[in-house]
Amino acid sequence: MKNKRKIYKQLLAGPYLLWSIAFILIPLFMIVYYGLTTSDNTFTLRNIAQITTDENLKALGLALLLSFISTVICLILAYPLAMILTSFNVNQSSFVVLIFILPMWMNFLLRTLAWQNLLEKNGVVNTILNALHLPTLNIINTPYAIILGMVYNFLPFMVLPIYNVLSKIDKDVVHAAQDLGANSIQTFMRIILPLSVPGIISGITMVFVPALTTFVISDLLGGSKILLIGNVIEQEFKQGSNWHVGSGLSLVMMVFIIISMALIAKYDKEGEGSGF
Amino acid sequence: MKKFIQRFYLILILILLYSPIVTLIVLSFNNSKTRAKWGGFTVKWYASLFQNQDIMNALYTTLIIAFASAFLATIIGTAAAIGIQAMRKSVRTPIMAVTNIPMLNADIVTGISLMLLFVAIRFSLGFTTILFAHITFNIPYVILSVMPKLKQTNKATYEAALDLGASPIYAFFKVVFPDIFPGISSGFLLAFTMSLDDFIITHFTKGPGVDTLSTKIYGEVRKGIKPEMYALSTLLFVSVLLLLFVVNLSPSDKENKKVVKHRKQKQFIFRRLVPALLLLVLIGGGIFYGRSSNLTGKEQVIVYNWGEYMDPEVLDLFEEETGIQVVYEEFETNEIMYPKIQSGAIAYDVVCPSDYMIQRMIENNLLAELNYDNIPNAKNIGETYFIQSKQFDPENNFSIPYCWGTVGILYNKTMVEEPIDSWSVLWDEQYKDNILMQDSVRDAFGVTLKYLGYSLNSTDLDELEAAKKLLIEQKPLVQAYVIDQVRDKMIGNEAALGVIYSGEAIYTQWENENLEYVIPKEGSNVWIDSWVIPKNSKNKENAEAFINFLCRADIAKMNFDYITYSTPNDAARDLIEDEALKNSPIAFPPKEDLERCETFSFLGDENDALYNRLWREVKSN
Amino acid sequence: MANKLIDIVNISKSFGDNLVLDNLNLYIRQNEFLTLLGPSGCGKTTLLRILGGFESADHGEIIFEGKNINSLAPNKRKLNTVFQKYALFTHMTIAENIAFGLKIKGKTSSYISDKIKYALKLVNLDGFENRMPDSLSGGQQQRVAIARAIVNEPKVLLLDEPLGALDLKLRQDMQYELIRLKNELGITFVYVTHDQEEALTMSDTIVVMNQGYIQQIGTPEDIYNEPQNAFVADFIGESNILSALMVEDKLVKILGVDFPCVDIGFGKNRPVDAVIRPEDVELVTPDKGILQGIVSHLIFKGVHYEMEVEANNFTWLVHSTDMFPVGTNVGIYVDPYNIQIMKKPKTEDAEAVGVEE
Repeated sequence: MKNKRKIYKQLLAGPYLLWSIAFILIPLFMIVYYGLTTSDNTFTLRNIAQITTDENLKALGLALLLSFISTVICLILAYPLAMILTSFNVNQSSFVVLIFILPMWMNFLLRTLAWQNLLEKNGVVNTILNALHLPTLNIINTPYAIILGMVYNFLPFMVLPIYNVLSKIDKDVVHAAQDLGANSIQTFMRIILPLSVPGIISGITMVFVPALTTFVISDLLGGSKILLIGNVIEQEFKQGSNWHVGSGLSLVMMVFIIISMALIAKYDKEGEGSGF
Repeated sequence: MKKFIQRFYLILILILLYSPIVTLIVLSFNNSKTRAKWGGFTVKWYASLFQNQDIMNALYTTLIIAFASAFLATIIGTAAAIGIQAMRKSVRTPIMAVTNIPMLNADIVTGISLMLLFVAIRFSLGFTTILFAHITFNIPYVILSVMPKLKQTNKATYEAALDLGASPIYAFFKVVFPDIFPGISSGFLLAFTMSLDDFIITHFTKGPGVDTLSTKIYGEVRKGIKPEMYALSTLLFVSVLLLLFVVNLSPSDKENKKVVKHRKQKQFIFRRLVPALLLLVLIGGGIFYGRSSNLTGKEQVIVYNWGEYMDPEVLDLFEEETGIQVVYEEFETNEIMYPKIQSGAIAYDVVCPSDYMIQRMIENNLLAELNYDNIPNAKNIGETYFIQSKQFDPENNFSIPYCWGTVGILYNKTMVEEPIDSWSVLWDEQYKDNILMQDSVRDAFGVTLKYLGYSLNSTDLDELEAAKKLLIEQKPLVQAYVIDQVRDKMIGNEAALGVIYSGEAIYTQWENENLEYVIPKEGSNVWIDSWVIPKNSKNKENAEAFINFLCRADIAKMNFDYITYSTPNDAARDLIEDEALKNSPIAFPPKEDLERCETFSFLGDENDALYNRLWREVKSN
Repeated sequence: MANKLIDIVNISKSFGDNLVLDNLNLYIRQNEFLTLLGPSGCGKTTLLRILGGFESADHGEIIFEGKNINSLAPNKRKLNTVFQKYALFTHMTIAENIAFGLKIKGKTSSYISDKIKYALKLVNLDGFENRMPDSLSGGQQQRVAIARAIVNEPKVLLLDEPLGALDLKLRQDMQYELIRLKNELGITFVYVTHDQEEALTMSDTIVVMNQGYIQQIGTPEDIYNEPQNAFVADFIGESNILSALMVEDKLVKILGVDFPCVDIGFGKNRPVDAVIRPEDVELVTPDKGILQGIVSHLIFKGVHYEMEVEANNFTWLVHSTDMFPVGTNVGIYVDPYNIQIMKKPKTEDAEAVGVEE
């Protein structure tokens, strides 16, 4: 009786399983198929080998570099922020967390585009700097602007998982460390930091993967002068018309994604860091 | 002191997060149409927003997709969470790994994979495919919100309910459901927000005539965002903000019981009433706008045109006069347009490519022959333009000219010293960071080849390598590679020089009198954009009626006034009252200028690939 | 046991509008097992946290070995705490947990490993060095928490309801273990609990608290036998608390009947509370009793019978090894030495009886 009921319960997952096969697994297989074939359906590794051409390697390298820098900056900005948020009392903190989700209600493209206005030669920031007789900031259409855009767009994805993990740490565990003689730096290094690793890992992947593959931010803030691997893939599909090469390059991207999934599986078994 | 540093830091981050939002809000009150210039305070965009059917349609599509996908994802996801929870660990782990894929996978890969699937099963891209894609990436958010709550629920209470005689379904809704409801509702909200904010996946899975706010905005990026868009975003943002404030400012738990009761009422208002109202507005609006943009049943024609390349009123007039409904879609470059036609994923009825691209489409057998009997107004088009068209359409069988023009340099008289008459200024160090280049292969190479004295249809590897080298040399001087944005940036005095199409030049001069246009002495490109009908068109006669309508003198004149691109329609030119415009050297350049110019021709797929490769080398350098 | 180790002077603490400790004074002697006993919300945990340094008092001083430690950070105090929910470091092994404080102090690794062995032996967990906290039962985790605290050889060990989460049998075992530890280590214990039996079993001194005030300080015997007010009487063990009138010295009128007693100095015709423990109520034949009543309820409790007797509109709780069936007419007799007379409480606060968790 009990087992039967359990089976009925499991059946509830049926629609989702069908859905995930149809819309998650098969599409991924489609990419693998396209990536490993030519337009006349013969097997090839040439599409994947496309990553080794000079310009694609450069785009990949630059994307790796920029997303790495952005991830590090996000982490450095987000960790203290998450700690500050944790120190607020509960009622206030849900509000504060919402403040970080709120910008998402303004369209992502418009938000990024607004940085153009802010950063342009005659933009808002430079107008203010001029008024203060400070040297102007000329980062629009440079990699720095792209980093800024990445940090801006993905910061909440770093803050929220870290905040989640930090707020779950029992205050008495911290007290226990102090009680045993640890000063605030020791408490942080030996207790708080190790306990927040799942959140950090989750935050890193949630920033790194989208930053690595973005084409919009580099498009909008890089003046189309800077080509990231995401731009290359997007162009293969939307302009270059070679879906096979695009799929091959996407397969290369998936290597990085699989690495991050493995990291998550290793450090965040309980799923503490994921979600909001 | 510590508190102070904390607050200070928090404020800095908030400035970072909210300064773009404040910027957008300010822009929504900007009286000038371009982003680059403050033209005084106005609220007119808020008024015109509600008359702008394009934007309102996109808004409702966005909201309906967000709502429907979040709703369906919540049902499927909650059921799935319960089912997965009941599974053995060895089964659960792989399923959860699959669930994680859409969350961890790059959006671009998810989008591409879904697009490949839809195209492979011949499921034409449109509203439904976006919806399916959104449900797909929303379900994991729901599952991951519900699962933790399910883990926390006390199994005993569910079993106690069964013990007391409740049926499993009744027990679920009475006992388990209230426990996991917070997870379900936060999953729904998260899914809704994610769907609302998604661009990339929608970008790859959308079809013609369907736009969400994101894709609409992306389409507008190159030619300048319509100010109504800022107004809309501001309205959306402010209403969510207000809602949050009211919910959070309602009395806290600490206060006495009377207040708690009051709070319950408030909770009722916000938990039930507000969502219910929202739903009503959504459905009502959906039906209202759904009626006006009904895609099924009626006669229709799917038009694929360049961005900002037609007076929207022309479309209204056409619909009024013929009863044929226009589904209108825009592209930015020939290279973006071509694969869409080639793949056949979307059956467009009438498209407006440029010369060389028409040649390519003819050679690849993508176009249908026109039936001139259905296009009597073709007689309004000047003979010279048909002759010129023979370069790419030898029999004039496939195309009817729509607009034409030249490529030249737009410069700001206050920012340059010497008279501009040569492409060489684009390589002049003193204009570093003041040059705007065209972000399309043929235009960029065409300009360079002409500067080098070669043909802009060169296929000579040495010549092309030389051009590439020059373009790489130029790159540090270039402020940005843009397409239609040249216009806004030049108007806003952001740059001194820009490569631009002649049609745009006239408009920019109206907005900024310091701007001047020149066709350099080395010669340039003269181009024709013409209407063609793809072979897989399902409404060929409607398409011909549409082309015929555009060839009418008064309609062509209307379009000319709106887009300011040179018209090949001689009858329409005669209708222009402004003599200066009628004889403008920009719109209708003198013969000797045109003699120095060349038309692009299609160079074959292999050479195309060569151009693309060289261009990528330039871009990635 | 004379020297004061910790002196708590005029401590007050409030959270928002809620006054948790009101001008509290208390001293703790060297090598004493002192228990703070009271219902939840009485302020006992707050007091402990102030001692540990995790909360700071609004007013007053904490004097430790003659020095004010009000502003001393927790990590500088010679006190160690065993937290209510153990607060083990879940990312470290048992050995690493125990070594934590020693490593911070820079002890040598051989010293540390000796200490770990010694401490684990002390709490009966030999061989658990490399286990993770999650794999241990509640009682084991509790003992690890104690081991982690005592290896630092604190002057004082603060324990915050450490046995609250354990089942009865384990709790009793741990009580004996704590007493043994205290005797072996010779350190001062400050123990917080709401369980009166636990307090009576383990303590040298019990401090009964309610609503931020100390109700009574004394040995377990004092507290049990001579509660100073109705709250203490009710909170410690079961008792019959009756409103009474002190007619004169050594005579009290309870339920309208005169009872001889031994208390003096309450004045004449003063309203007082009289406390009579259920085991001190003697049931006799009706003619021999001071009061007459009928048995209304009877339960066998193992060591004794528990009965309720209706007499003069009051339900007397009686523990006796003799059994009287329900409906029996009985007499009630109380030895004068077993009647505890207390002043009526002056404030409502002192009367308030907390509800157990």
